[in-house]
Amino acid sequence: MNLFDFCYGLIHWLVDLINNIWYRLGDWLPWWFGDFFTGVGDFARSHGHIAVMAILLEVLIIIIIALINVLNFIWLDRKFMGRMFDFYGPYYVGYRIGGWLQNLADGIKLFVKEIITPAKADKLGFLLAPIIYVGSSFLALATIPLGRQFYIGTNADPLSTGVEASALIAFAFFAIAPFSILIAGWSSNNKYTLIGGMRSAAQMMSYEIPMLLTVASVFLMAGSFGFMGIVDAQHDIWFGIPLFIGLVTFIICLAAEVEIQPFDLPEAEAELVEGWTTEYCGMRFGLFMMTGYLRGYIGGALATALFLGGWHGPAFLPDPIWFLIKAYIVFVLIEWARWSLPRVRVDQILNIGWKRLLPMAILNLMIAVLLKTAGWF
Amino acid sequence: MAEMWINMGPQHPMTHGLWNLRVKVDGETIVDAQPEVGYLHRGIEKLVEGRTYTQVIPITDRLCYGSSLTWSHLYCLTAENLMGVEVPPRAEYIRVAAIEMQRIASHLMWLAAYSTDLGLMLGFLYTMRDREVFIDILQALSGSRLTYNYPRIGGVAHDVPPNFERDTLRACNYMEKKLKEYEDLFEGSKVFMMRNVDVGLLKKEDAMNLGVTGPPLRASGVKYDLRKDMPYSVYPELDFEPVTHPDGDCYARYRVRMDEMYESCKIIRQAVQKMPKGKWRVVAPRNGPVGTGLGRVEDPRGEGVMYIVGDGTDRPYRLKIRSPIFVTVSAAPKMLIGYKMADVVAIMGGLDMCIGETDR
Amino acid sequence: MAERGKSVPAQGMDKTLSRVDDVPEEKLIRALLDNFPNTVTDFKKLGKGVVRASIERRDIHKACLFLKDSLGFEHLSMISAVEYDNRFEIVYHVASWGHNLLLELITTTPKDDPSVDSVSSVWGGADWQERESYDLMGIKFNNHPKLERILLPQDYLYHPLRKDFKGGD
Repeated sequence: MNLFDFCYGLIHWLVDLINNIWYRLGDWLPWWFGDFFTGVGDFARSHGHIAVMAILLEVLIIIIIALINVLNFIWLDRKFMGRMFDFYGPYYVGYRIGGWLQNLADGIKLFVKEIITPAKADKLGFLLAPIIYVGSSFLALATIPLGRQFYIGTNADPLSTGVEASALIAFAFFAIAPFSILIAGWSSNNKYTLIGGMRSAAQMMSYEIPMLLTVASVFLMAGSFGFMGIVDAQHDIWFGIPLFIGLVTFIICLAAEVEIQPFDLPEAEAELVEGWTTEYCGMRFGLFMMTGYLRGYIGGALATALFLGGWHGPAFLPDPIWFLIKAYIVFVLIEWARWSLPRVRVDQILNIGWKRLLPMAILNLMIAVLLKTAGWF
Repeated sequence: MAEMWINMGPQHPMTHGLWNLRVKVDGETIVDAQPEVGYLHRGIEKLVEGRTYTQVIPITDRLCYGSSLTWSHLYCLTAENLMGVEVPPRAEYIRVAAIEMQRIASHLMWLAAYSTDLGLMLGFLYTMRDREVFIDILQALSGSRLTYNYPRIGGVAHDVPPNFERDTLRACNYMEKKLKEYEDLFEGSKVFMMRNVDVGLLKKEDAMNLGVTGPPLRASGVKYDLRKDMPYSVYPELDFEPVTHPDGDCYARYRVRMDEMYESCKIIRQAVQKMPKGKWRVVAPRNGPVGTGLGRVEDPRGEGVMYIVGDGTDRPYRLKIRSPIFVTVSAAPKMLIGYKMADVVAIMGGLDMCIGETDR
Repeated sequence: MAERGKSVPAQGMDKTLSRVDDVPEEKLIRALLDNFPNTVTDFKKLGKGVVRASIERRDIHKACLFLKDSLGFEHLSMISAVEYDNRFEIVYHVASWGHNLLLELITTTPKDDPSVDSVSSVWGGADWQERESYDLMGIKFNNHPKLERILLPQDYLYHPLRKDFKGGD
């Protein structure tokens, strides 16, 4: 039974519960009200309506899971940083659960700050940039399944295979971000954000290419563009083992896309204050920060689904839990490198992207072609 | 993009202290640079003229708050040169041990700020933790952690605490182990090497012409260390080597300071073990004679000089202070032109700027 | 180039000079007396390797050029300005690395005309130090490439280190 059926059943039960009272109410009122109530009740019970509500509920569930994981990631990031640096990390807020509530405290702080728009900023661009950035990142969550039956499905999906090109869609949405960063950097009317925005867009665009080449090799080995097909093709052996170069390249490109040290020169505090997000205040800046971690989560989920076998694991834990555990492991690997390396200069970042990672990705693709034609996959 | 002047500072997370660096960039490359100082001018040379000779010592502490013992020691040397006071040997050895510990603490603080600027916050926390070891010893010695007010004209304020020798030797052993760890952390990381090697080249002739002294000069290959070449205090009796490096880039400046920390550990061991017993202070006369006095020391940042003029009263007539960073910063355009904007942090950080002594 | 481990000491300073080599303090005094017989006076040995001399202000540029090119005094350490009742004194501390010598060269200017030739074309390190003396003490340096205030704001009217400045403005 997949997530859609579960939500459908839930909403159906809920609607029936409410309709019990609703119809009785309609019977009790005079005839011109009563018709209205019966009409509404029948509409609510119809299959189309419940299907739409079920899809909305599914989306809500997936988003809530993603946001809770983002909170966990932020907490894990700060604790990890603390332990590497020989201090505790968040400690007092949420004392008994290890300081987990610190993120909520920071979020509340960001909410109550005053939102200032610079006078000469381009108002439309300034407003749109966070919306595009956050929106496209959330959209990338739409097609990532957490388990065999745990994805956003519809009623037109009897074989529970999900959307056929789901991985392609996820990467397409993931790649809209440089566009919004350029808008944010330019519309703030500030020399520093302009430089930061350009650097950031250059970095992201040049790391998309090795990433997509690596993903292309996975598509080749799995023979399908969708997550279900890819994860099913890994039931014998995870793709990360023959395509180990691809896994390493993908993780490095992920760190560059999410702008994590050592690749975070666009927001280098030592030089450009905050880079392209300098002029954003309050929760707008909070949205940018949260989306950074959300893209880290999405990237970890993608790496898991593509290379680390998705939700395959011993049967004593349910599938989604295995998926999340593997995504966390990828994140911890990135964090480890993050806090122990200095920042790379921007032209060196582009050097690494074009001259070192691109050949590695091509090598990986050739290995995939070799393995596929040898018939082992 | 067209050429534009960018102001890095005065309020800026990268600049240690308050100064302004105007760079003219063409795209990402720097074509011109103009440092501007003077935001922290406190008028110390004028302040000094209204205080007695001993009251000046806390003021000179605050010249460079990162290495304050060096400056108060320099002032005491200058005043002793003016008055002709002879310092007892025990005081000299205590002074040398304290100054070298201050040198290690100052270099560790430089390393903390430098590695943060490059993006490695790990370096900040580890080096500050190790600096605490030395700050604790200096606190037991003098009573405060940052501006010590410890040397006096004619010696030091009070004797060493008990267990000074044991604590100091332990600290030196600890530091030498930790320095190896830092070398692994920094030089083992390819990213650090990429950002430092071949960046900010300062040729030997330029360094000599522009009056640069201290680690930037020695990193360009000139072997000049005031402790060996025109020694003061008890340095002639101690055995150490000045450190130089033939390249003139940021990596050379980093390497020179790391090796100086090794040498300082050696000096501290010798000073502490050779310390004779005896008096630790001679009371200097209250009124200074008519005349002039000169003192020169090797500050962690370069050559510090003080020139004092006395007029027979108990207050100095004129005190002139030469700060090493004041002159080294004027050589900054030579090191910056031709490099990228992201290198400004590495290059200016490698000079170890302390604006307190620049602006006085 | 970038090697791990302890750095090797660089080669020592080039110790050969054009005319006078291996100059201790007496030989320095003799060289100055030979070349500037009327203007350099008042020698005093202040300590090991430290010599003081006075020079008239019209010869300061020539003397500094001679010190740097012929005697090997590569390093200008400090330029100080001191105000007395009837004169200004500008003190140049010049160091020779190769010979471990320090020369304290004192120039006097009258009270109403505190100006002297700039030596920033001889030693680049003199540039900012002369600007500082101009800023705080009001000494004008002729032929300085850019004589502006450096520590105080550009439109400040006074020279604070003079004895008649009481502050509080």
